[in-house]
Amino acid sequence: MMKVTQRLLGPVTLLLLALTFWMGLWVTPPDKVQGNLVRLLYVHPPIAWVALYVSFGTATIASCLYLWRRTRSDAMDRIAHCAMEISVVFIVLTLVTGSIWGRPTWGVWWAWDARLTSTAILGVFALAYLALRRANDDPTVRARRSAVFAILTAINVPIIHFSVVWWKTLHQGASVLTSTGQLNVHGSMLWTMLIGFVGFTLLFFWLLRERYRLEVSRDARVRTRVDEALATRRSEGA
Amino acid sequence: MAETVEALTPVEPPASRSRSNRRSLGVIAVLVLVVGVLLSQGLLKSLNYFETVDQALGQRASLGTKVIRLEGVVEPGTIERTNAGASFTLAGSGSHHVLVTAQGSPPQLFQADIPVVVVGHFVSATSLDFAGTQIMVKHSSSYIAAHPNRVKAPNGTSR
Repeated sequence: MMKVTQRLLGPVTLLLLALTFWMGLWVTPPDKVQGNLVRLLYVHPPIAWVALYVSFGTATIASCLYLWRRTRSDAMDRIAHCAMEISVVFIVLTLVTGSIWGRPTWGVWWAWDARLTSTAILGVFALAYLALRRANDDPTVRARRSAVFAILTAINVPIIHFSVVWWKTLHQGASVLTSTGQLNVHGSMLWTMLIGFVGFTLLFFWLLRERYRLEVSRDARVRTRVDEALATRRSEGA
Repeated sequence: MAETVEALTPVEPPASRSRSNRRSLGVIAVLVLVVGVLLSQGLLKSLNYFETVDQALGQRASLGTKVIRLEGVVEPGTIERTNAGASFTLAGSGSHHVLVTAQGSPPQLFQADIPVVVVGHFVSATSLDFAGTQIMVKHSSSYIAAHPNRVKAPNGTSR
């Protein structure tokens, strides 16, 4: 069952993303106010969802599990690392797609409001996490420090989410995860966006799986090289 | 043979712990600097990105001619396009109104009955006229189909 799910992950992701683009570009109607600019709605919120909640959330949960003695393992550290790398990509995509939408809609590429600034700060946190990993040579110290850092910086995620509620921002409020639970998106536009949410979430897990595999094979290669070097040294000494 | 075994005995690794600590501190220092710059640009200066018309008029005396971001809804029938930009009336939630004369071309979505944020200042310490230098459209989180009742004809065209 697990194997079938893993095999299907890639094709289903591609199918859902293709469906999102097809519905977003050709099936859904233009918006009453935004016209065709609304079509970015089908990619920007799903990308932001993956950047903030899915990937940063996965990195945070994996970091917690690493720090907890009962579940501590290299696998948890690797998952946190890989998820954070993907988070960087999605945070950049969030800012870029938001900018592309903001220029014609708001009239500016960027506004220093609470939502945009706190999202940029999360991007800096994610980059700092990766830099911190490279700064530490000892694998155990590296894993522990980066796990603590990921958990501390995750406090920014709820700040980003509630920034549009707590403060006055140029960025609009939530469209799907509203405080009242009311959906503010019409018919086929909503379905397209929801398919986008599922598609981009699966894309994250697909990327995570592939990145994780790469990391495992890289570690195995390093270990093999060390073993080979030791064997060579031993044979020289014999 | 005894010499070989001694040569293969694990040796103490070089003192990399302090180097790692220094690098980590460097990363944290750069992080604090960058986040500080972002915070000073964004959250600390404009945690609340704008003043509503009601708030601005409520603190009219203290605002003077200070540059602010003013938010309100563009009142229908008041937009006049000028050579320099546009003039229109901005309405607050109550009966408060401000006459805005803005320079520069408004954004693509600028229209009547839409919330906007105008960067500018009141023209004098007591005036209710606002001179804008930039208009930003504040879009709501509602997305409504342009023609929800439009049906498709058998040949695929919309009616």
